[in-house]
Amino acid sequence: MKLKKEFESFFRKIRIDDETHVLKEKRDILQDDIESKLPEILADHGITISKSDIRMIDQGSYKYKTTITADVVDRDVAVIIPLDINDNPDPREIKGYLKDSITIWQRSVSVKEPCVRASYYENGEEWLHIDLPLYADDGGFKYLARGKATSDDYTWEPADPDGLNADLCDKILGHDQLRRIICYIKKWRNEKYAGSSGDHEIPPSIGLTYLACDCFIEQTGSDGDDDLLAFQKTMQGIKDRFVCTCYDGEVLTADISRRLPVEPYSDVFQKMKDSSTSYMVKFYKRLSKAVDNLTNAVNVESPHDAAEYIQKVLGTDFDVPPKEAVTAVTQSKREHSFG
Amino acid sequence: MTAREILESYEEISIESQTGDDFFVFRLYGKTFLLITPNKDDFSSRPRIYLYNDAGFDFPHVLLYDEEVKENTLIPEGTYRSVCLYEPESIVFSVISYEDKLFDAIERLIELLTMSKAEREKEFQKEFMYYWNCGLAGRNAIVFLCQEDNFSKFVLYSNKQDTRFVEEGIVLSDINYRNKGERKWSERVDIEAYYIPVLDNRGILPPYRGRPWTTHNVKDIVYGKQIEHISFDTYQCLKTTQVSTRNMVLVFGMKGEQASITFAVMIKCNNNTRNTRRTILEKIREDAVAVEPIKTKREDYTFLSNIIGNDIGLRGKRALLIGAGSLGSYVAFEIIKNGVSNIKIYDDDILSNENLLRWAYGGLGVGRNKAEHISLLLNIMHPEIKAEGIPKSIDEKELANEVKNFDLVIVTIGNSDTQLKFNRMLNNIGCNIPVLYTWIEAGGEFSHILYVDYSKPGCYECLFTNESGEYVNNRASIAPEIVESNMIRNGCGGTRAAYGTAVLLRTTATLLTTFQKIISGELQGSTLIDITPNSAMNSLTPFPMEACSCCGH
Ligand SMILES: [Zn+2]
Ligand SMILES: [Zn+2]
Repeated sequence: MKLKKEFESFFRKIRIDDETHVLKEKRDILQDDIESKLPEILADHGITISKSDIRMIDQGSYKYKTTITADVVDRDVAVIIPLDINDNPDPREIKGYLKDSITIWQRSVSVKEPCVRASYYENGEEWLHIDLPLYADDGGFKYLARGKATSDDYTWEPADPDGLNADLCDKILGHDQLRRIICYIKKWRNEKYAGSSGDHEIPPSIGLTYLACDCFIEQTGSDGDDDLLAFQKTMQGIKDRFVCTCYDGEVLTADISRRLPVEPYSDVFQKMKDSSTSYMVKFYKRLSKAVDNLTNAVNVESPHDAAEYIQKVLGTDFDVPPKEAVTAVTQSKREHSFG
Repeated sequence: MTAREILESYEEISIESQTGDDFFVFRLYGKTFLLITPNKDDFSSRPRIYLYNDAGFDFPHVLLYDEEVKENTLIPEGTYRSVCLYEPESIVFSVISYEDKLFDAIERLIELLTMSKAEREKEFQKEFMYYWNCGLAGRNAIVFLCQEDNFSKFVLYSNKQDTRFVEEGIVLSDINYRNKGERKWSERVDIEAYYIPVLDNRGILPPYRGRPWTTHNVKDIVYGKQIEHISFDTYQCLKTTQVSTRNMVLVFGMKGEQASITFAVMIKCNNNTRNTRRTILEKIREDAVAVEPIKTKREDYTFLSNIIGNDIGLRGKRALLIGAGSLGSYVAFEIIKNGVSNIKIYDDDILSNENLLRWAYGGLGVGRNKAEHISLLLNIMHPEIKAEGIPKSIDEKELANEVKNFDLVIVTIGNSDTQLKFNRMLNNIGCNIPVLYTWIEAGGEFSHILYVDYSKPGCYECLFTNESGEYVNNRASIAPEIVESNMIRNGCGGTRAAYGTAVLLRTTATLLTTFQKIISGELQGSTLIDITPNSAMNSLTPFPMEACSCCGH
């Protein structure tokens, strides 16, 4: 099987198995702060909750083990508090209280549209942020606090953080090849969007993860998993799900949707589409390019050439085995000396 | 093709100067290199490439040593750093043509210079110990570990050049040696040292030019942000273990491509007065002001066996060797080298000059007891080896006691009567460890190994029993008759069989293979092996013998 060793080594390079001790500690401290201060702050505003009412759960890739190495560590921890949303119709206020409960000089805290973010810096550079989506638990129904601090666009959006976790864990955990393919796709996204900073310009991890789950077909050969073929087929499958309009060979629009299987059942790419039509076209074009390179990698015979195609998709962390022709002369003449 | 034509065939290369046919200075990727072509008259000669006048270039396989060249008519003055293109002795140059050697060298250089960051990291990591130890002065750290996977503490001993870092639990036999009353090693209590196993070595690179290690490198290993380099258990140990000395040494261990990588670093700490007892983690995170790499060598018995591939499954086994004659001397030597680090040897004989030419250890020790002398030599080989020589013949009662303390017994006395006696006794007590009998046939050409598992059918006496249960001469024998002319009469009936060392080497080698087969489970139950000058194979001699009055029923 082609490049089996190289894919294994690549996955070893990019995978993050677990939270580091540092991250655990940062998260624990944050949780302590929230539990000790948030009830007081809410009490000042006439909302009564006790420390034990606050529930914090892991969300995102750490939960289903598809985290990959990146310049900034991104951690998602949901904060769920009991709250009557009719009595408290403005989620921006409650997010503000959450922000206040964790604001100390060691971390910089800001309110983002879907969450409150605690950022950690070292030598002036951000190395970690912990995103805290805030959920109101109103009689068993959960609602995500949406809206920037000053924006008029805000809402309590119905949500099911536990259901989402359960759905993804069920799909991914125990399916190691799928788990790896999701990591490759995220790595491809990070490589290709390294220079992008626009809001919603970059395809969201949750979207890529769901598309990968939908399009993945396990590929194994005589000597184990064939990650190259599985990767190529999954990417091809995602590409095929796009609906495009073309004119004169040029892609004018591209569209893909994936709805969440739980509340609010929304399309995970909606924000991306709403921001700019060009974002979806760019996404489609980059994906097509990757599919071309992967297809070439599948088709060429030489592992060296195949790996060079894959480097165009996954970056230089992917090892390229030596060129067969160059090494044939000298490699067949290896021997040991009596040392 | 000439060397010039070969160089010119690469677009990336521009030749700056040429001296004769052998020296070329050329530019490639913004760097200047010197190529010395292989000698056409010496077919084993290889091309050499040097980086010219570039002291700051950090690159794997560009060696760190500068060579100054002055007043030379062949090559420009300046500094040269050798580029390491080949793994040592991995290629047979003699069979490669002059042109192919040059093409190959240039392709290798280009490959080297176009490595991605990830590939460079990998190469640096491959040669971690070279970069770590390069240019370090001062006392060496000699590390002895008995395991690699868990946090542990070292006991430190120093002599004039080295400090030994000995993991708690390892006993070194020479640590109390004295020379003219003076201790060879003295325990150091001025500094504490700990072993930290690194499970994930991504991104951990050795120091190299312009990039010395700082406290950050150490912090990143024990307190990694994104990648967890150490286990949760290790982290807990760092959090709870208090250090009583101001500075400390951390010895990190990680898995390399071939062998384990072990490197020690001194952590210099400020004098934190508000609390004298600080944990390792606190010291690393808050008190550390500087780190000093220490030249490190790992020398424990397990590591030294691993790097040369000596692993036939004998690691950590205790062996009882009965007989320290010619064969015993070879066997003792080899099983120690192959993993047995604890051996007890019984023999009452004295080494004489007549023994020396088929004795495994050279000329020392004449006039001394053979068992004691072998033990002395084995103990010198490595301080973790524990060899004990008992200057007497073991009797059945002692043997019955001793088998409780060992994992295997090897009998190299060659005397049938004694072996039969031992065999009976071992069968009677239900000996539960492997016993290997060895003997050389009269004539000195053929030899045998009998492996007995006393829980299964078959024993030494089976060989002296025929199908009707009568005693016969050893049925294993291959040579038809005793060759009278091979016996040297010593007077008073004493004889010395004339056999050379070849049979000893064959038998010893087969014994090693037999251990491997016993331990791997390939040999199920007692087995007789015939060794001839041409082969070593499981014997066709009928065995075991049901009518055997020892093991049969
Ligand atoms: Zn090298
Ligand atoms: Zn028997």
